[in-house]
Amino acid sequence: MSTPHDDRPIDAFVDAELDLKSRLEMEQRLEDDPALRERVDELLRLKELVREHATYHAAPDALRRRLTASAVPLQTPSRTAAVAAVGAVGAAVQRWLGWRPLAASLSFAVVLAVAANLAWLRSSNDERLTNDVVASHVRSTLGEHLVDVASSDHHTVKPFLSSRLGFSPPVDELRIPGSVFLGGRVDYLDGRPVAALVYRQGEHVVNSFVWPSTAADNTPSLSTERGFLTAHWSQGGMNHWVISDVNRVEFQAVVQAVQVASGER
Amino acid sequence: MSDDEDRRRFEQVAIPHLDAAYNLARWLTRNDHDAQDVVQEALVRAARYIGGFRGEGARAWLLQIVRNTCYSWLKENRPVEKVALDDFDDAWQDIAAPSADEPPAVAMRKADRAQIDTAIASLPVAYREVLVLRELEDLSYNDIARIAGIPVGTVMSRLARARGLMRSALTPTARPQLRTVSRATQGGGTS
Repeated sequence: MSTPHDDRPIDAFVDAELDLKSRLEMEQRLEDDPALRERVDELLRLKELVREHATYHAAPDALRRRLTASAVPLQTPSRTAAVAAVGAVGAAVQRWLGWRPLAASLSFAVVLAVAANLAWLRSSNDERLTNDVVASHVRSTLGEHLVDVASSDHHTVKPFLSSRLGFSPPVDELRIPGSVFLGGRVDYLDGRPVAALVYRQGEHVVNSFVWPSTAADNTPSLSTERGFLTAHWSQGGMNHWVISDVNRVEFQAVVQAVQVASGER
Repeated sequence: MSDDEDRRRFEQVAIPHLDAAYNLARWLTRNDHDAQDVVQEALVRAARYIGGFRGEGARAWLLQIVRNTCYSWLKENRPVEKVALDDFDDAWQDIAAPSADEPPAVAMRKADRAQIDTAIASLPVAYREVLVLRELEDLSYNDIARIAGIPVGTVMSRLARARGLMRSALTPTARPQLRTVSRATQGGGTS
């Protein structure tokens, strides 16, 4: 029988928020305990009810009109805000704002030059993007945050992502053996929010990142990065990055399937 | 120049999440007019803090500001709603766990929009916010923890408790009814 202390893991389980170890433990318990299964089913029903029926209050047009363009009084960040500013970007912006009265254009040029040099010193843009893709993939597979919307139905995932991204990524399952569509999430790459579509290929997670691009269509360029296979290409006005730790043969099949799925949008 | 830059950054960061901002404010204040006021106030604050925004998790960043603005507003205008929820956090296990001899909640399936909305609107505000952030905004526990300024463990217990209350409210058995908080019907019930 379940004890009261099991409740939070059950909620975390139906929310797909358990780490891998706890999830496996919970799955084992579910097999042995019909009462627990019943409660999980009930929670899932409740979730579905709320998600399907609860009113999502979109911002009224009047409010949107009032807030866009010049209506919100934009104040120069105050000293308090300067103190509260965290992180390098915030600090840089604040520094820049602080200099502004003295020599705005000059300081801006300095910041740009410093930023450019730093970027050159650290790595090329492509390398950084590759690193970001790997980091994002690893983070997602650590069980912390694989999907924002867990659904194998692209009719569910696509509107979810479109509404949050400002563009509509191609979303579809991959029509190859062993592929399971797990859902999607919003991620951050190349200085912008991107769509991440998540698949399972056998025992391996595949992340497929998509965001708008102005580049002409080209063919996938494959590489290996810290043990992961990556492929990136442009297609139909979108950048695609696919990454996984499946074997090379399967990876090529996955990339082809993503190309096909993206062409059918 | 910097105002233009800030303005543009602000519009890129905040405006795409206006629906989320309004949805949260609307569920917390349970009233369109108040929600609009709160969102406007929150966006003014957001514009002021844009320099401190780190470029990640724009929606959570904005919702955190909206949430705090809501709470200031609630404190000022509806002090009765500021129930000391920490007391409940210790007691969640008494309530959230239904026992096995209860009838299966088949009835839940028949609940319609009005019932669901009323049930959510009737939740104490701290439970309402985690449920709305989770089910309507689809945010991770980490994001919810950041927005509500509570540990992830508390997000979990409040969600469990919120769902326990929802379940009771939506299952028309002899279960005790949800306690109505002030102006509870003003929320989604009729919209």
